[in-house]
Amino acid sequence: MDFTIIAETNGDSLHPTTYQLIGAAASLGSNSTVICPNGVGSSEASKINGVEKVISVTGDCFNIFDGGAWASALSSMCGEMILISASPNGREIGSRIAAKKGIPIIQDVVSMTEGITVSRPIYSGKAMESLTISGGAVVTLRPNAFDAALAENDAPINVVNQSADVRIAIQEAINKASERLDVTEADIIISGGRGMGTIENFSHLEEIADTVGAAVGASRAVVDEWGMPHRMQVGQTGKTVTPSLYIAVGISGAIQHLAGMRSSKYILAINKDPDAPIFGVADYGIVATWEDAIPALKSALSDLQS
Amino acid sequence: MAYEALDFYDVDSLLTEEERMVRDMVRDWVDEEVIPNIEIACRDGVFPDEWRVALGEMGVLGAPLKGYDCPGLSYTAYGVICRELERGDSGLRSFASVQGSLAMYPIWDFGSEEQKNYYLPKMASGEWIGCFGLTEPDYGSNPGDMITKAEDMGDHYLLNGAKMWITNGSIAELAVVWAKLDGVIRGFIVEKNDPGFSAPEMKGKHSLKASVTSELVFQDCKIPKDRMLPGVKGLRGPFSCLNNARYGISWGALGSAQACFDSAKDYAMSRIQFNHPIASYQLVQNKLSWMLREITKGQLLAYHLGQKKDAGNWIPEHISLAKMNNVDIALEIARVARDIHGANGILDEYPIMRHMANLESVKTYEGTHDIHNLIIGRHITGIQAFTREA
Amino acid sequence: MNIAVLLKQVPDTTAKITISDGKVDENSVSKWSMSPYDEYALESGLQLKEATGGNLIAITCGPERAKKMLTDAAAVGADTLVHISDDGVSDSTHVQKLLTAAVKKFDSHVVLCGKQAADTNGGSTGPGVAELLDAACVTLVSEVNFSEGNFTTIRPSNSGTEKVIVNGLSVFAFDKGSSELRRPNVRGIMMAKKKPVESITSGDLGVNLDPSNVKMNSQNPPPEKPAGQKFEGAEYVNEVVSKLRNEANVI
Repeated sequence: MDFTIIAETNGDSLHPTTYQLIGAAASLGSNSTVICPNGVGSSEASKINGVEKVISVTGDCFNIFDGGAWASALSSMCGEMILISASPNGREIGSRIAAKKGIPIIQDVVSMTEGITVSRPIYSGKAMESLTISGGAVVTLRPNAFDAALAENDAPINVVNQSADVRIAIQEAINKASERLDVTEADIIISGGRGMGTIENFSHLEEIADTVGAAVGASRAVVDEWGMPHRMQVGQTGKTVTPSLYIAVGISGAIQHLAGMRSSKYILAINKDPDAPIFGVADYGIVATWEDAIPALKSALSDLQS
Repeated sequence: MAYEALDFYDVDSLLTEEERMVRDMVRDWVDEEVIPNIEIACRDGVFPDEWRVALGEMGVLGAPLKGYDCPGLSYTAYGVICRELERGDSGLRSFASVQGSLAMYPIWDFGSEEQKNYYLPKMASGEWIGCFGLTEPDYGSNPGDMITKAEDMGDHYLLNGAKMWITNGSIAELAVVWAKLDGVIRGFIVEKNDPGFSAPEMKGKHSLKASVTSELVFQDCKIPKDRMLPGVKGLRGPFSCLNNARYGISWGALGSAQACFDSAKDYAMSRIQFNHPIASYQLVQNKLSWMLREITKGQLLAYHLGQKKDAGNWIPEHISLAKMNNVDIALEIARVARDIHGANGILDEYPIMRHMANLESVKTYEGTHDIHNLIIGRHITGIQAFTREA
Repeated sequence: MNIAVLLKQVPDTTAKITISDGKVDENSVSKWSMSPYDEYALESGLQLKEATGGNLIAITCGPERAKKMLTDAAAVGADTLVHISDDGVSDSTHVQKLLTAAVKKFDSHVVLCGKQAADTNGGSTGPGVAELLDAACVTLVSEVNFSEGNFTTIRPSNSGTEKVIVNGLSVFAFDKGSSELRRPNVRGIMMAKKKPVESITSGDLGVNLDPSNVKMNSQNPPPEKPAGQKFEGAEYVNEVVSKLRNEANVI
């Protein structure tokens, strides 16, 4: 089976996910054709193992994101089996290519084996679905779910000029400092408790929140005693939250706090007291003071983002 | 987060689709707007005005009344609304009971066409709040001996007397007041600015703190002649209002009971003692099982009574039984729930103590628990036992 | 203006999902709701309708139970309710063909939907229907307005958000919208109850549902999470972060 991979880019280079898309195809023994929209990252892509050929597509339509135009420009170069990142843009381009070709699309796949059999989470991860594909399909892969391919290759690059009609126009760019999310909306929450010492120390949690696009939460103790806004409070009388990742820093884990966050998909607890009840519900616990752990956490998370 | 109610026997599956949609509308509103704010309202001792506006916008005030811009829902739907409101707080349900059953209903049933057209649309929309003046400082269970009186002065009536324990009194635009005219109980509509009328708020309650309770004072209160309700004389007037309000309470108390059960269940599942959740211990399971049993019975009682109300084949004693039983079990469930919560049960982080304190009032108002027993006792024996004088 | 809003009924996001015999047991779902992003599409559709004096057509493709969701949509102001039977529907191409045919049948000028449904979390429907309609599509939008013959919308950009302008038949896929959702009221509910749901099948729409390339093998509970892991000392932060990425896949 030959795979066509549409590269995911990050500014003017490849996004790490592209390596994972290629790695996923290679794990099925397939050599891939990688399409680089607007030519971005094409020489980088040519060096990745498992790449047979790179198509560097240039055209005016790539100056703005219009999934319809991108799909029109790219679809004629795609084979029957297409892999794209399950990023918002990837999902949109993939959907349009699938509809154009009259083939199904399967989104957010987390494993792929011979056959081709894929699995994906459904109902927000409350179940997993296994599907077998016979024939053409577009498959979007969840970022970081597949091993990345190494880069020791030298595949040829074809440059193709292909544009398409763009049907949308940007009227106005609205720059805004990214607003910090509300705890009920965020996929990652970092919360502090009395163990943070003073309200001023929450700035360290805010820095981490800004790095990973998280919301900042708080226990009732610090809301009541330090005057943090009530909307930040997680727990029995505050918000009930179910993020993918809840990071509790200096929160002992009173039953009222647990009531608001125990349904989080994953919980990371940082507390200096090894007997703190928060460790009883944590998937990952680090016994350390926040002063030691938070700078390390911040640098580890920033490394991941870059 | 959507609330999933305890409904062991799927009683709600017997509701019509319309009734279920109304339920979901009120339920979502209570979850989003009432429960997050109720403790502050209680602490401040106020009934938030936004709630009046929202109840009017949802169109649930005076639920079972038809015409005059009233909702025209079934009595069953009215019961469901009371239940959903009281899961938030008994004070909120009290507001709706008084507005719909005690203030709008007598105008709707006993008022003149002019009175209905003038008052009911404004009350259904929540623009005007009403209250109901029957109980007096010295006449509670025995309203027939009330001393508030009305005198016909030719071109107007003059009211003198005082009413007590009046929900919504100080925030109301109008009061439906029961007073004796030549020794016969009649209903009068008194407006906020009528001369000689005042409604001072009663402070210091440990119960129904998010509901306004007032006295109504009439000192040579002068009202126009067209404010008397023409359609009823005697205790039948106030008692028919009370029948409807009591009916709503029989559903409402189940809302409080469900809130206490939910909290107790969640707490018992997550509270670890002796290395295990306390829900895994037999004594706690016994308590939870008892709660579920009583709530389920109460739900069947309320639903069946709702069907009888809608069919019109009910007697007041049916309502007495349901009001008495469902408030009684709700109060006991609140107490047992407090017990399951241990010391945490006294905190305002949990709704338990608030519901418990509220239900103490609910047990007493709209006919005390004992009076309802006597109503049923009279039904069984044919012998009234309210008074020693025959 | 005819405003089509594509809606999907899904298990309420708080509902428990149980699996029996390798399949999610739909009968055990305690509550079905309108998919949350679809609610923002509907709200925006109602605002467009009010602004332009249009007609709002709520369309769903699903089993019988999905009709209830259309009635909910009518309670807040949907004018026409269209239920397409999902008999024989087994992949994204089928759903998109049926929805597209319905959008055309009702002469829609604009199509609104959620960015993804809360069951499959795919995100294929909006762009897929746009492709079949040969229409523009903007995804992850927070509002849609209409003035002087054009639609304007707000979508995220690298530096914040951007206002995008589109003309002609367009599809907008909503993220969380910028407007608060309206509540139904009793009057709306009573009117909704009387509003008929138009039931149509793939045959009525002239859509052929070809055999699918995709076969569902099984649905299973997610893998058990490993037991909690505790590390003594801040020197383990890096290790934990790599577990968050590789084991838990949450960052």
